[in-house]
Amino acid sequence: MSEDVGVAGEADEAESGGADGTETGGADASLGADTETPLELTNVVKAYETGAETVRALKGVDFAVERGEFVSVIGPSGSGKSTMLNMLGLLDTPTSGEVLLDGVDAATYDDTQRTDARREYIGFVFQQFYLIDALTAVENVTLPTVYQRDPGAEARAEDLLRRVGLGDRLDHRPTQLSGGQKQRVAIARSLINEPAVVLADEPTGNLDQETGTTILEEFAAVCEEGVAVVTVTHDPLVNEFADRVVELVDGVIRDVR
Amino acid sequence: MSDSDPSSGSDAEGRLGLLERFPSVLMARRNLSRNRLRSGLAALGIVIGVLAIATLGIFGNVLQLSATNELGGLGNQVIVSPNEDTGAETLSPRDVAAVERIAEGRGTAVPLVTDGAVVNGPSGQTFAQLYGLDRPRALFTARAGTVPEFHRQGALVGSSVAGRLGLQPGSAVEIEGQRFRVIAVLAESDDITPIQPSNAVVLPRDAFAQDAPSQIVVQADSGEDAAYVAGTVRDRLNARERRVSVFELSSILDRINEFFGLLNGFLVALGAVSLVVAGVAIFNVMLMSTTERRGEIGVLRAVGVQKGDVLRTLIVEATLLGIVGGFGGVVLTTVAVGALYQFSPIGLDVVLHPSNGVYLVVAFAFGVFISLASGLYPAYRAANEEPVDALRD
Repeated sequence: MSEDVGVAGEADEAESGGADGTETGGADASLGADTETPLELTNVVKAYETGAETVRALKGVDFAVERGEFVSVIGPSGSGKSTMLNMLGLLDTPTSGEVLLDGVDAATYDDTQRTDARREYIGFVFQQFYLIDALTAVENVTLPTVYQRDPGAEARAEDLLRRVGLGDRLDHRPTQLSGGQKQRVAIARSLINEPAVVLADEPTGNLDQETGTTILEEFAAVCEEGVAVVTVTHDPLVNEFADRVVELVDGVIRDVR
Repeated sequence: MSDSDPSSGSDAEGRLGLLERFPSVLMARRNLSRNRLRSGLAALGIVIGVLAIATLGIFGNVLQLSATNELGGLGNQVIVSPNEDTGAETLSPRDVAAVERIAEGRGTAVPLVTDGAVVNGPSGQTFAQLYGLDRPRALFTARAGTVPEFHRQGALVGSSVAGRLGLQPGSAVEIEGQRFRVIAVLAESDDITPIQPSNAVVLPRDAFAQDAPSQIVVQADSGEDAAYVAGTVRDRLNARERRVSVFELSSILDRINEFFGLLNGFLVALGAVSLVVAGVAIFNVMLMSTTERRGEIGVLRAVGVQKGDVLRTLIVEATLLGIVGGFGGVVLTTVAVGALYQFSPIGLDVVLHPSNGVYLVVAFAFGVFISLASGLYPAYRAANEEPVDALRD
């Protein structure tokens, strides 16, 4: 396991070095130096006030993902999986604990900083794909960069779509694509800003087994390039592709393998 | 694939160039064009609102301008006559002198003797109003012949008298046994004035047996002068007892203008109501479309689009609706005003008066403002929703 990570990490060094050359700068500069652990939760607690009661969805979660690692988070409904993913994705702030991006605590970021960090650092893939029907595949992929001055985004998007096997669907709209193709567009979108981590919420939830397999292969390929992938899922198929499976039960992490 | 690729690539670069400069505007336009019917209907509301404000405003304004043109000279005359309650039928020489003094430098005071008589001409006889005055040029203009500055002999005849009696300059008329040579035929007056020359014969004052003037007409240089003369005459001559009655129309003209101003305000307010209704329609459309796009906006926020960018895009969407609708309204208004000019006797100078343009600009600006204001809340609400909430189904 640790060997695996080492190899992936080395491959990543070379990869990210090359990528940095063409980087536009951005939030990466404000983050700490590239570490082997791009994203980490330490003792994260998330409590919700519901009426008079306080519900603790996460009760001190410690979790870290390494570069190029594919981690699957499983757990029963209501175990706090989504909450944990929201913490990892800087979509929500913890009640206590730290969210470390390359070793820098992002838990106290304000909305603007979190938004910038999400754009530059994290890719999202959703169960429902969430593509915009009015936009072509390329336009959907460039969506995270639309408000940035990023003239290279278009070319990168086309490149990414070719990489996920949609080179002949660049100008197709989501309505003209199958479920698997839509999810590939979503994966391409998640990679447009060369993130350190891709977070996927039930990425195979709306796909049949065969298509799901191809999508998971796509994720595996993403890991090969040094990007960490964290999935939250019920789908046992995902675990077959994951380097590591952790289970979230009652707001606490348990390593499964 | 390799054939279509380069072309689509260069096309995309062109789009990206614009996208870079105004991403909010481009995204907004893209979003609006996704539901053309709905966007079109929302813009139509603004079209109608702007059309209503602009046409009602301009039509009212045109009415006011035309009326002011028609009534223009009305305000410049002051007529001083004896107070009928005292039984006097003529003005005393002292009063005449006083009025002339007051009018000095502000217009011409013309003492006037009035009478009525049968006038005999070459082709018959008719009853006419007789005016006796010494300075006709201040009050009348000639259609034929010349109106003398000082009137010492001969007759000036009104156009309808001249028509009935077949008179022209050089003809002779007989009034109560006296013969007068016609020296001018008077032009019809454009202005509304109590001294109507059409059915009158104007003679020198000394042609009348009784030459004490029954009224004084002050032709003032401006409406303000007329108001001043009227006020001063009232103050000085009627200080202790009411010796004269003063008739002037400048105050009436003010009232008329005031009325038209009110009418205009009323019309514009009516138009504004329709524009506000249009604003509610836009509010509704924006609320609907942001609610519909809740998930999509959530994704945008999740993948790193700032709140401000979402807000700006949505406000630009509403504003674009307003701009398109406002432009349509302005175009339709121009057409409507053109039709008004075509099918009514209103003059081009009135139609093209710059104040009409003000209504166009104001209506357009108001339309855009209403749209923007209607878009604010839906935009604010959508932009401030936590992406987590928007994505949780």
